[in-house]
Amino acid sequence: MQQREEKQLESALESIILRVNDLKSSIAAMIFKVENEYDTMNWPTFLDNYALLSGHLTSLSKILSHDKCPPLRNLTILPLMLSPERDEQLAQVTEHRVSTFAHDIVPDYLRTKLEPMAETKMNQLEHKAASLTYDNAQKQVAAYQKVVSHIWDIVSKSREEWEVESSSRGNAQQNSNVADTDMLVAAVSMGKGLKMVGNPNGQPGPTGCMVPPPGRPGSGPGPMPPSTQPMTMNKAPSAIKTNIKSATQIHPYSR
Amino acid sequence: MGVTILQQFPIENRTGPATIELLTKRISALGAVQQGHFLVDCETYSSVANLGPPRTVHVLHNSEQPASCFSILDTGTKTIPLAADGLFDLLMLKMNYFYQAKKQTKAESKGPRFEIGDFCVKLGTVTVSQNFKGILVEVEYRPCVVPGMCWELIREFMQGVLGSSVQSNPPPYLATRMQENYTPIDTIHQYLEHFTMFRKSPGMRT
Amino acid sequence: MWESQSAMDSLTSAVRSNIIPNQEYLLQGSILDVYVEVLLHRLRGLCDNVDSGPESFNDHELCFTLRGSNTSPQMAIPLRVRRALDVQDAPWQLRYVGQHELGGRNRPTLVRSSLDVACSNTIVEFLTELGCRIDFEYIARGYMFRKGRMKITVSKIFKMVANKPGESVEPISQSYLVELSVLAPSGQNAIAEDMRIFAEQLKPLVELEKIDYKRLIHVP
Repeated sequence: MQQREEKQLESALESIILRVNDLKSSIAAMIFKVENEYDTMNWPTFLDNYALLSGHLTSLSKILSHDKCPPLRNLTILPLMLSPERDEQLAQVTEHRVSTFAHDIVPDYLRTKLEPMAETKMNQLEHKAASLTYDNAQKQVAAYQKVVSHIWDIVSKSREEWEVESSSRGNAQQNSNVADTDMLVAAVSMGKGLKMVGNPNGQPGPTGCMVPPPGRPGSGPGPMPPSTQPMTMNKAPSAIKTNIKSATQIHPYSR
Repeated sequence: MGVTILQQFPIENRTGPATIELLTKRISALGAVQQGHFLVDCETYSSVANLGPPRTVHVLHNSEQPASCFSILDTGTKTIPLAADGLFDLLMLKMNYFYQAKKQTKAESKGPRFEIGDFCVKLGTVTVSQNFKGILVEVEYRPCVVPGMCWELIREFMQGVLGSSVQSNPPPYLATRMQENYTPIDTIHQYLEHFTMFRKSPGMRT
Repeated sequence: MWESQSAMDSLTSAVRSNIIPNQEYLLQGSILDVYVEVLLHRLRGLCDNVDSGPESFNDHELCFTLRGSNTSPQMAIPLRVRRALDVQDAPWQLRYVGQHELGGRNRPTLVRSSLDVACSNTIVEFLTELGCRIDFEYIARGYMFRKGRMKITVSKIFKMVANKPGESVEPISQSYLVELSVLAPSGQNAIAEDMRIFAEQLKPLVELEKIDYKRLIHVP
């Protein structure tokens, strides 16, 4: 029985160490990138790296919460011997971060209790809680619950709204319009809808569309056209349609 | 870039290389230093019958503007110049179906290029489809871009080098543009005029 | 003996060693006017010219064809002239755009042969006298972005109501045309893959696609 537990502990520790090492190396890789490739690195690569880190963290916490993982907090580590001498093996294992196993650092590394300052603070709070009367405590709990549930309501309401909005946007695909794409591409590639509308002669002539004399026509480029005027837009399609028709019927270039 | 005057130098009873040698000696004596070679070439394309009235496109290159390609379109009633990137040549090839290169008309002027003070002098041996046709001398005065302001100076310099063959009036092409800013296409125009004359003239001995 | 090589010789050797950018890789799409700010914002984040901001343009494009009286449409040569209305001294752009190839399913972009030539402002008269007829013209206003060798343009297309650019123009749709293109020597198909990946990053805002022009003949 004990042997089985020991085996379980060993394998759990092994996989934890493996994950921690993964995490450590990807943090190191990311630090290296940030320090050395900051001028060429782009945002997507950075995000990729970040995703990798969070993946490692998730798998680490999965292992820790797995039911096969023995309760680690029940285990004790006992320092058997402290020595101010340099310990080569320890240095190697810790990548030269810790070189001696001495009394000044052991309490920091093997500490399981809270820091003394934090501990006294906790004690004070616990004492205060114990001295409260029952009614008083009930009142405070009720008030607190009220606040929390109110906030909960607000958050869940806005989440609902947000989800509805994003799902409706995703389904409707309103960012672009396939018909518009086709029309624009047909216009710039084949001149559909562009062949001389409003030319009083009705026919394109080489002199009709000459370039004006040099000199800027009126204002400069100006700001980009804002949302187009609905008036002209509603009219445009019919004008284009009729124009194409006439263009195909009497082709200006066939003799 | 300054103002350039191009003129033919009579070879009389010398051969082409002997004429170049003579001019090289004369100009070196004045202190000119040779700075490489130069090359101006011209290919002429004519339109096919089904494109309507006949037109001619002359495409020229000048080693002084190595990234450019110059074209002059001649419709019979007017000429339209065009300066473009070197890739324009590839575009001309695309138009192969409508504009075909005239055979046996590729003209070139090439030879040594000299610098002497503010002047740049080029001694060109002209060939039309590999046949020697004559000598063209190009003189550029570089500090100035208005022909009217430096023609007298250039003429005096040219008379010093080329002697009595130099005309007292500017070339007809420039005469109407004496007060305008001179640009590389003006040099191209002058070369084209000379090339056209050379193409019509009978061959010379080399 | 001569140091000077003829221009045609050096051009021929450039063609032979395949260093002339004569292929255009292209993806196209559009975005509704109301969302164009979002797209511009995204492009600002993705593209190279972050510091200088997007480059705006206001261009006039004239599309010509060179054809004879009895030449078949296949032989006609399309030529385009583009000029900046906002930068008076900029050279004009002459452009030949060949037939586009859709390619198979595993080719990520449209490919068409293309020659871009900067030239002087006499080009329109030159082409007209050469025998070219103008087919159509339009105004394109918008923004240009760069990402490595890729060029991204977001442009509003206007037709000219009077025959002078800048006077009275009318947008032809309520969307902006979005184009992602690279001009490269032929055979550099790796760039097409880069373009596909870049296009992925703009989804679902814009769907940049290979557009089959044959299908467009039937566009109303």
